[in-house]
Amino acid sequence: MKKQQIQRSCLMGFIVATLIGCSQPQTPTASTSTSETPQAQITPNSTQTGEMGLIQFQANGEDFVRKGLVSKDGWNINFDHVYLNFGEATAYQSDPPYNPEAGGQPIAKTSISLVIKKTVDLAEGDENTQAIVINEVPAPPGKYNAISWNLNKGTEGILAGQVMVIEGVAKKGDQQVPFILKFDQEMQFLCGDYVGEQRKGVLQPGGKADLEATFHFDHLFGNGKIPATEEPNTTALGFEPLSKIATNGELVADLPTLKQKLSQADYQTLMNILPSMAHVGEGHCQELTLKK
Amino acid sequence: MKYQCIIVFLLFPILSVQERAIAHGAKAEYQLTSAVEIKALYDSGFPMKKAQVTVYAPDNPTQPWKEGLTDDKGSFTFTPDVKKTGYWEVKVRQAGHGALITIPLESKNVLTEKSTALTHNKAELSPLQKGVMIASVIWGCIGTALFFQRSKAPRLSPELDREIVSPKS
Repeated sequence: MKKQQIQRSCLMGFIVATLIGCSQPQTPTASTSTSETPQAQITPNSTQTGEMGLIQFQANGEDFVRKGLVSKDGWNINFDHVYLNFGEATAYQSDPPYNPEAGGQPIAKTSISLVIKKTVDLAEGDENTQAIVINEVPAPPGKYNAISWNLNKGTEGILAGQVMVIEGVAKKGDQQVPFILKFDQEMQFLCGDYVGEQRKGVLQPGGKADLEATFHFDHLFGNGKIPATEEPNTTALGFEPLSKIATNGELVADLPTLKQKLSQADYQTLMNILPSMAHVGEGHCQELTLKK
Repeated sequence: MKYQCIIVFLLFPILSVQERAIAHGAKAEYQLTSAVEIKALYDSGFPMKKAQVTVYAPDNPTQPWKEGLTDDKGSFTFTPDVKKTGYWEVKVRQAGHGALITIPLESKNVLTEKSTALTHNKAELSPLQKGVMIASVIWGCIGTALFFQRSKAPRLSPELDREIVSPKS
C-alpha cells in the first residue's frame, strides 16, 4: 500500500515535471508584412581578405589652427606652431564597434600600429593645407572603426619634457601678446569611428584609407563667431585670462607657471579642457590621463 | 554649439541592448525595431531641427543608404532593409557637431520582433531554474505521500520502540 502510494506520487511528479520541462513560453506570432527571409545571425561588417593596403594616419587642427580664430573674448589668435608629440597610436577593426562613452578598450579582431613616436606641427603649411600626415603604414583590408593614441612627453627640442607646445600671437585692439604655452600632461585617447563629412578608415584590398586625430582649439579659446551662451564658449578659457598673466607684453608659460599665475578657477577650466580637445572629426574620445 | 542629446527610438523593440554615442554631449540610444526613429534634442530639450542624418547599410559603409534631415521636432525615421544584416550606422550632424551610432540588425529579430520583445520582458527560465522546479515538484509529491503514509502507520513508543495500543473505549 505504502509502495503503491509512493509510486503514484512519483509518477505524478514526473508527469508534472515533464510538462514543465517541455513547455515553451507562449508567444504570439508577429504579423509583419515582411516576406520571410533566412534566419541570420548578427554579423559584423565583414573583414575583407586580400591584398594589403595603406592606412594614412593624420592629425588635424582644423581651420582654427590653419587660419586662426577669434576667441570668445575677442582676441584674434594666429598660430605659428602647434607641436604635438604622438606615441603608440593604434587602429582597430573593432567588433562590436567601439563606444568611447562606455569606456574600456576596443575589442579588435585586427589591429595595426600606426606610429610609435612622432612629433607633428598642426600649423604646418599654409591656410589651405589639410590634415598633417603623421605616418603611413601597410594594413590588411577592412573597416578600421576605432583608434587610440597617446600624447607623450618629447625628449628633444622645444618638446623636451612636453606633450604639446602652442606658439602664436594674440591681438585685440592695440594689444598684441606673443605667446608660447607648454603642456606636459601625458594623455591617452580611445576613440570610435570618425564622424564627419566623409567616412574614414574603410580600407579596400590594395587601396588606401586615412584615419584622423582631430584637435578642437575652439574648446580652449572659444569661438567669437557664436554666442557666448553656446558651447564651447560656456566652458572655454578664452585668451583674456592668459593675456593678464603676460610679462612685458608676452607670455611664455608651462603648466606649473599657469597653475601659479592663473586663478584657481581658470586653471581648473584649462585642465578640464585639455583632454576634451582630442576628437575623431566630430566624434568624441575616451580620455585617460597618464601618470607623470 | 549646444550640448546635444540624440536619442534613437526603434518603434518595435527587438533587442533590449542599448548603445550610446557621444559627440559634444550628443548621445544616441537605440532599441532595434523594424523602423528606426531618431530623435535629436539639445540638452535643453530643444529639438535639433534640420540636422543632417546619414544612414549607412552594413554592406556598404562608405556610400549613404539614405540621407535626410530631422524634422522640426528633431525626429528622423527610416526602415532598414532586413536582408542587409549586420551593423547599420546612423550619423547625425549639425553645425559641426555630431554623433555616429551602430545598430546591429538580425533579420530573424525583425520577423519575430513582437515575440522577442515579450520574451525579453518575460524572463525565460534557465535550465537550472527548471531543474530546481522539477526537483521541488518531485520532492513535494514524495513528501506528501510519505506524510499520509505515516499518519496511517501505528505510532511507536520512543522509549520502548514498540507499538502503543490505544485502550479500547
